[in-house]
Parts: sequence; structure tokens; C-alpha cells
Amino acid sequence: MESNKNSISVLVIGGGIAGIQSSLLLANSGAKVYLVEKASYFGGNIIKWEEVFPNMECATCMIAPKQQEVLQNESIELLTLSEVEDVQGSVGNFTVKVKKRARYVSLDNCIGCNECFDPCPVEVDNEFEEGLSKRKAIYIPCAGALPNAPVIDTNNCLRFKGEDCQLCQEACMFEAIDYAQQDEELELNVGAIVVATGFKTFDLTQTTEYGYKKLNNVYSMVEVERICASNGPTEGQIVLQNGEVPKSVAIIHCVGREEKGYCSSVCCMASIKQAHFLKNKIPGVKIAQLYSDLCIPGRIYQRFYEEVKESGVDFIRATVSEVVKQGTGVAIKYKTEGGEENTLNVDMLILAPAIEPGVGSARLAEILGIPQDEHGFFSEKEPDLDSVNTVREGIFIAGCAQSPKDVPDTVAEAEATVGRILSLSR
Amino acid sequence: MAKKIGVYVCECGNNIADNVDIDRIIKTISPMRNVEVIEKYRLLCSEDGKEFLRQSIRDHELTHLVVAACSPKQHEHTFMSVCVTAGLNPYLFQMANIREQCAWVTPDKEEATDKAIRQITAAIARVAYQEALDKRDMDVSPDVLVIGGGIAGIRATQVLASPDRRVYLVEKSSSLGGKVKGFDKLFTKMESGSALIENELRSMQGDENVEVFTDSEVDQILGFFGNFEIKVVNKARNEERDFNVGAVVLATGFDLMDINGLPQYGYDKLDDVYTSLEFEEMNVPGGPTGGKILLKNGKPPGSVAIIHCVGREEKGYCSKVCCMYSLKFARMLKDKLPEVKVSQLYSDLCVPGKTYQKFYEETKSLGVEFVRAEKTSVSQNGKGITVKYESKRGPKGDLAADMVILVPAMELADDTNRFAEMLGIPVDNEGFLTQEHQKLAPVASSVEGVFVIGCAQGPKNILESIVQSEAAAGKILSTLVPGRKLELEVKTSEISETFCTGCKTCISVCPYSAISFDDSRKIAVVNEALCHGCGVCAAACPSGAARVKNFAFKQIYQEVEALLK
Repeated sequence: MESNKNSISVLVIGGGIAGIQSSLLLANSGAKVYLVEKASYFGGNIIKWEEVFPNMECATCMIAPKQQEVLQNESIELLTLSEVEDVQGSVGNFTVKVKKRARYVSLDNCIGCNECFDPCPVEVDNEFEEGLSKRKAIYIPCAGALPNAPVIDTNNCLRFKGEDCQLCQEACMFEAIDYAQQDEELELNVGAIVVATGFKTFDLTQTTEYGYKKLNNVYSMVEVERICASNGPTEGQIVLQNGEVPKSVAIIHCVGREEKGYCSSVCCMASIKQAHFLKNKIPGVKIAQLYSDLCIPGRIYQRFYEEVKESGVDFIRATVSEVVKQGTGVAIKYKTEGGEENTLNVDMLILAPAIEPGVGSARLAEILGIPQDEHGFFSEKEPDLDSVNTVREGIFIAGCAQSPKDVPDTVAEAEATVGRILSLSR
Repeated sequence: MAKKIGVYVCECGNNIADNVDIDRIIKTISPMRNVEVIEKYRLLCSEDGKEFLRQSIRDHELTHLVVAACSPKQHEHTFMSVCVTAGLNPYLFQMANIREQCAWVTPDKEEATDKAIRQITAAIARVAYQEALDKRDMDVSPDVLVIGGGIAGIRATQVLASPDRRVYLVEKSSSLGGKVKGFDKLFTKMESGSALIENELRSMQGDENVEVFTDSEVDQILGFFGNFEIKVVNKARNEERDFNVGAVVLATGFDLMDINGLPQYGYDKLDDVYTSLEFEEMNVPGGPTGGKILLKNGKPPGSVAIIHCVGREEKGYCSKVCCMYSLKFARMLKDKLPEVKVSQLYSDLCVPGKTYQKFYEETKSLGVEFVRAEKTSVSQNGKGITVKYESKRGPKGDLAADMVILVPAMELADDTNRFAEMLGIPVDNEGFLTQEHQKLAPVASSVEGVFVIGCAQGPKNILESIVQSEAAAGKILSTLVPGRKLELEVKTSEISETFCTGCKTCISVCPYSAISFDDSRKIAVVNEALCHGCGVCAAACPSGAARVKNFAFKQIYQEVEALLK
């Protein structure tokens, strides 16, 4: 594609769906894009989801073509393992310092054959799989991760701990493993910046009443996404800790809402989606949703809710007081709105945690010189009117970095940042 | 011309070589018809591999190319580029995936080799019938038509207009500003809606790149992405204007559902039962009551009940913004009448996002009552009104109110469907316009170059409408670049004039509205500027007239036959 004489360079921070969509549109306009991603892979949170509501599309399949487009677009430079360290200047002329950590694997030589994993003697918890499975010290987080090349985790690699191990290098046929690779510091000149750093979920270990990490078979919704994932730790087999298939499941909504002081927008739909998924995978499973208010806004979500409800999922408006051990499962004690006290026994409990700003938001806010709100999300220029803009001209925000939101709203914001950036130069 | 097919087998290091007997492949394939050369290489995607391939294509003067390697997802693009630099049309190339589909999944080496041979044979059979295709492009107009002069349309116009891009903004009423200009207060900052609109219009004023049509209707939209022909009629002056644009933005807004069909709420029968828009009107300083909240008897109400979700059940969706503006109403009431008792009758509180819950909590702390009510009804009780409510597992009861505000579901504005029909955008089960993709393309309609934003796309608040207008602008600015031609899909569908019986099946199934009917010849015609090459028409055509380039029956049959032989 011929480049536009008026085109600018743009830094996009965060390689999730928002960052990907911004980058693709900007690159198509003729702009040069630097897409900076902290992890060794890109795709963001969405690639952890097996299926997405309401059409139950496979999320990885949905986003993989976009990722391929990014990898093949010559105007987009994807910088993985990279973080923004410093930003100086102003709109039209920002100087950005990016620290690119060494992968110790050459992206040019590696073909993604995974031959280096087997010989590695180290085994640690795989963070991508919420610790539900192990990985090696040279690893990719999950099958299908892009770019399709492993990274060496220097905190756990024997060689980087001083031992004389080079088993992975010996296994590689392509001379792709390079222990001498160094971290790099890059200096970029860009006209505008898009902040699309996404979200993480509320730390459930801060709660005491639900038995999380104390009782067996109590999971966070993210863990359940991985358990359901065909490329996940159980290859999609939904089983309890004793290896049996659950006969009854409860999903508790709004965990952490009170602590955070806001509604995370998407958890109701995500909970309904998980019920839909479990109902399909485990014929006859009993599912109860314990919720306070159902937030299913917009033109299509209610139909999905009604379908799931009709499939036999019980929706109980309840305040949960306590979760205790009951046989191999748990007993959930709750109060209905009418004041009635009840107990529900289930084999498996899923907690839907609140959504929080992504890791490192505070540091990034400082580097970028843009404020955060009381919850740590990046502040938009004008609440209720101008959500993709910030007080620092030329710096824009998209997606959950600004506030919890679903995929369509995230994509719309990503596209809106492009509208704003491409109209800047006039 | 004789076909000279070159076949290249990639060892992929040891990835393929270890699990597939490449020498046996070469021995089996090389005597096959049309195979000019077959060679193996250690890693074809490497720089030296690509150079080897480029040189070999030239040396053997190949007419077709088959690469047996990894998934086409990984390197089809790479080898197509090699073809271009070697002077071979890249559509005369086919990939056989012998890594993911053979070497990595079939444990027995002999079986994996047999399978690889079949795949390569199939690719050879197919490639011989592939056609050389050329990249095509088209001149486009960068200009844009925006239909609807509410907040979404205004903002889209502002972001799009520039010295090399003209924007035509068409509004059917006599002034711009849509519903928002009639709102005295907006949540959450309780600032004036009319002031917001004035501010927006001020920044557009005098912009020579914007042409505003009020009292006007879009009468005709013909053409396609990049080249739409538009006719606008000024109803007041009976004038007509014709112009061309590259893209169309539909921002026709919303109406409230007609609640006359819901007699349980007493609307239009009882005094002092209002819809939300009527209550907004009452609060406008220049309105019928001068901005005072008054009952029909001229007195201020002592108690007001706000009933949420009116018509939600009938519509089958949540209108998203009603909870928040109901809270806003409570604030407006408390602000003007500090002693008034306000009750919110709601079923589920929908206050998503980082700021709204705080607004709710603040409103609640003003003494506003929240009553869970999944079902409500309104009746006259002497001079006042009684609201009865109940919920399934919650409380049941009734409350007295002087005034009732009904919060009806939002639906598409009246003429949205007329434009949907004019543009060929299908309507979904809930009555909304179909998007290009529900999750990944929220503002693009299923017709390329037509964007649907704001409440025309579905209920949403002002902020979301503004985001969508900027999103549509982003999509347009990145594709319709002034002075740049639009690259078109190469593998498009074509319909044979000889075989087409004019049954129109293809027209009804095409998701991109790319096929039209030629009345004079009585045949279906593909617009190659709109066709994405999805192949739905080819599958549906009962007479075999529709086919997608390089997915012709002959090519597919040859491939399948060789695979199964």
C-alpha cells in the first residue's frame, strides 16, 4: 500500500483487541505503527476465552486473522516483551523510549516447532493458565500464541541462574536460541499515542467469605475459561479436583463490586456465557446464578439471557453470606431479597470477579503524564463526552484501560482513537 | 502453452523431514504430468530459501508453482510475494500443508508420507486449472454523507470534514441537535444538553468543508462503497441536490416505543402520567411550563414515581440508558423540589462502568427510594395515583404518587428502516440493522461503506454515541484516503451470463448486497467493488452460473479427485 504523504507515526501501547484494531486501521491509512506489548505474545485477555458471548464464537479463531494481518502488515512494527519507559514532547512530535527485553530466541530463525521445550529440565506454574498447568523455562504460554516463538524465562532458566545448561539450544535445529541476546532500548518518534493496556481481574484472595483458594472446587471465572479451553490445561475437560464431572455449579456475580465501587459491565454476560457453555458440555448439569442486578444492556444480550434461562439455568437474586465445605463440594449460604435464608449445595463454585485496570497502569500514567481516576483507570478528557481523549493532547485511550467494557465497545473506542488521530493533522 | 509446474518440498528443518519420507515423495511426484521440476529445500521461508525458489522459478520458466510446506496461514503470503518478484502471477501458486496436516499429526511415517503425496498431487491437479488474476483498484470519492443531525451526526461531521474531504449533513427537521438539544440536564455532570449542542455547532460554524441540509430528506442512494450517488430534497423549498460520496453514515437516532398498547400504565388516560421525553420537555426553561415541574392542576407534585423498563418485555431487550436517566430525573426533581418524594420502581439496575454506580449512590443518598418491581400497574385513586408493584421472590405492595414518569423502551427512529431498505441492509430479529460483525465491527453495517452509529445502531447514551461517530470516522479516514485508489478483492464472484436463469437466489443470499438484477438482460450481475469472494452465491446458485475466481468447480473437483484417488 502506498503511504500517504501526510501520514504520521503512532505508538500503540497494548496488543489486545483494542490495540490490534487501532494499529490495523492506522496502518491501512498509511501511518507507521509501533505496537508495543509487554508480554512475549500479543492478543491480550481475549485469547484466554474459549468462546465469547452471545454467538459463542471461538475467541482465538475470531482474533487470529487480525493477528495475522498485524504480523504481515509492513507498516506495523510489533514489539513484544516491550514497555514504554519515557515519553517527551508533544502532539505531532513525541519522543518515546521503549525497553525491549531479550527473548533469547530469534524471531527470524525460529519456526515455532517447540522442539526446545522437551529437553528443558525446569517446570514452573504457567501464569497464562492461572497456574493450572506447568510450563518449561523456555515456553510459549499456550498453543496458538503469536508470534509463534518461545521466550526464555530468565528467573527460572538454569543457565541464567549460573548453571551450565544449554539443552534448549542443542535441541534447536535453526540456531534460533541466542543466550547472548541483550535487552534493547529503542527511541521512537511518533505523532500520537494510543493507550490500550486493558484490564486484570480483582484479586479474589482478598475476599474471605467465598472460600477461594481455601476450599476445593472454588474457581475464578478466568480459571474456568482456561479449564473450558480446548488449548488449556485440561484440554477442555471440565472436571472437579477428584476427576469427576460436576453435577451442579453455582456462579456468584459481582465479587469485588462493593470493594471497587463500580459495576464491571461485562460479568453478567460472561457468567451467562459460562452457564451456556457448561450446559452444552455437561448434559444435565444444574446451574444457579446468584446475582443482585442483571446488567445485560443493549440490543442483543437479553435474548441470550432468555435462551440460557430457558435451558434450565436458575437465576436467584441473592446476597451470599458464606461458603463452607460440604462433602467434596461447597454449601453456599445466601439471603433472598425477601429476607429468606437459604443454602445451596454445589459441586463447583465459580466467582465472577470485578475488572480492574491493567498491571502497571500507575507507572504508565506517570510516564505519559495523564491522570488516573479514583479506581486507577486512565482518566478521559471529559467524562460523559470525550472518553477516548486525554488531557495531554495527542494521547488517546481505548478499551478497558479507560473503564470496564465489552468487546464491541472496546473495538468502537479503538476505531474512535483512529478517527481522532487521523483528523489531528488538519 | 505447455504447463510447467514446479514442486518444492520444504524440510522445515527436521520438522517435516523427520516424519515424512521426502525422497519417496520426490520419486512418486516427479514422473507426474506437467511436473517440470521437484526439489526439496531445508527451509524455504528463510531468506536463502526464498532466493532459491525465486531463481528456480526463473530458471525453469515455470508456469505454475506448488509449495509443500506448512500451513498456508503461516507462509502463503511469503511465497506469493516470491512469485511476484520472480515474475509469476501469484494466483498460479498453491500450497500443500504437509506439516500441520501430515508430519505433526500422523505418527506413522509411511502413512504421513502417503498422505503428503495425496496432498501434493491434489495441489498439482488444482494449480493446473488456476487462473492468473490481477490486483484491481478503483477511484473513490473521499466525501461523506451523514444522515441525521443529532449529536452522533454532528460529531461524525466534525471529525470527518477537512479541506480534502467534504461532508454533507442532512437533517429532516428544521434544526440540528436531535433529542439532546431538548434535554435540560445530562448525566452525570448535570450540564445542559442544549449548551452542549450549541458548543458543538459553534465549532462547526463557517467550516467550508461542511454542507448542512435542514428540512431535507435523502431521497436516493445508489451505488457502492467509494461511489455513492445521492439525491437530497429540501422539503421546505422543494429543491433537489445531487452529489457523489464515498461513504454513508446513518445517524438517525431513536424514538420511544409507543406505549399506548400497554394500558396497565394508564398513559393518556390518567392525568399526570408522563413519558420520559415529556418530562424532559417540562424541564426545559423555554418549555410549556417554563421549566417548572407542575401537575395538570398547576401545583408541584409532592411525590413522583418513576417506572423503569416500560415495554422492555415486549421489545425483548434492555434499552441501556434508562436507569441512568431515571436517576438523573430524581436529581432534577430533588433540585427543583427539595421536599418531593421520589420512588424508582425498577427490576434490575443497569449502571455499568466506572462512574455510574457513584451517581446512583449519590442519588440514593438524597433520599430517593428504590423499589424492586418486576411488574407494575398504574391506576387512579381519588385525586392521586396508585402504583402497584410486585417481584417474584421480593416484596409486593403499592405506593401513592402525584406524578408518574414512565420510562419506555427505545427503538429505531421511524425512517431508519426506509434507509436500511434503500441501502440493502438486512434487519435482525430485534429490528436492528445488521452489523458487519457483532463484536469486531460494531459501527460498520453489512453493506460496505455504510456505517450505522448512535441509537440508530441500538440504544446507547451520549458518550457511546459520540464514540461510535468517531469510530465511523476512523474507519472512513483509514480507507477513503484522498488521492488514493481503493484496492479491491481479487478472488471475486462472477456470474455467467449464459447459465444465469435470473432466479435471484444469489441476490437473496449475498451478505454484502454485491449482486443486483439486470432487468434488461434478466440476469444477476456481481458488483466487483462490493464482492468479498465469500462464495455463498456459488454454493446457492441452482444452475451453476455463479463461481468464485480460483474456486471454480473444475479446480475444486480436480483437487478432490486427486486427493481421493
